[in-house]
Amino acid sequence: MFLKVKLPWNVVIPAEKLDANGLMLHKSIVLRLLDDFACKKATKDLGYYLAVTTLVSIGEGKIRSNTGEVLFPVVFSGITFKIYRGEILEGIVHKVLKHGVFLKCGPIESIYLSSAKMPDYKYVQGENPVFLNDKHSKIEKNVSVRFIVIGTKWLEAEREFQALVSLEGDYLGPVS
Amino acid sequence: MSGEEEENAAELKIGEEFLKAKCLMNCEVSLILEHKFEQLQQTSDDPMNQVSQVFEKSLQYVKRFSRYKNPDAVRQVREILSRYQLAEFELCVLGNLCPETVEEAIAMVPSIKTKGRAHDDEAIEKMLNDLSLIKKFE
Repeated sequence: MFLKVKLPWNVVIPAEKLDANGLMLHKSIVLRLLDDFACKKATKDLGYYLAVTTLVSIGEGKIRSNTGEVLFPVVFSGITFKIYRGEILEGIVHKVLKHGVFLKCGPIESIYLSSAKMPDYKYVQGENPVFLNDKHSKIEKNVSVRFIVIGTKWLEAEREFQALVSLEGDYLGPVS
Repeated sequence: MSGEEEENAAELKIGEEFLKAKCLMNCEVSLILEHKFEQLQQTSDDPMNQVSQVFEKSLQYVKRFSRYKNPDAVRQVREILSRYQLAEFELCVLGNLCPETVEEAIAMVPSIKTKGRAHDDEAIEKMLNDLSLIKKFE
């Protein structure tokens, strides 16, 4: 699910970027914030950081005595993407393996659908391997699939989420 | 795997802060990200290089999975769904998946049928009808 969040952040501006001209300072703060935000990638609590939408406020700058940098506390709103257990989502198949398929959904690429969680689908080998069921529903590369999330995991080192998903439930499976 | 004891979106157990946080539908995110990307295109020769991977992947995703493209339609979808006392999370799941039948809607958002909530089948049916009308006239 995409979330609209309001976040406090500390923006540090090096002394040489400080300018008596207020407009330039504002620009430096915004650029620095956008940069920091993109580098952050994701957090466990809020998920993936997509975009800053508005800068709500810029607080009083504080000088760091050891470096001369100035720290500005700012508040902004932005968009994040987080995946929840129990949530129903649609994703795109990007890899078909014998024991299951990998899907991507928004910024998340490690979403695993095990063949154990789609019991009516059978693996069919070939140049383009697919999973097929009796009703001729086909799960192959680049197909959209609707699934339910049964588990999520946050990887601190990579700053990434992984998820396990299932097709066990009504109205789940490939969508056209 | 996390999501041990508590978290379960199907029962709307997703943590206090997120029940209050505003959720966004894919079509709304698509409008915002596309607008941002257009702005970048005007100021930079190579806009794809200016955005993070997270941004790029998300933009591709919401473009593919937006049921409504027209900004007016997107606004109307939120307005209509807002009339039905839904949690933000439920509203967005319905707007994203566009279920066609009452049964499908309940399968997608089981929490709308939990005890003490005023959604009978007729109300859900009406809501789905309103949604499909927007799609038709988009």
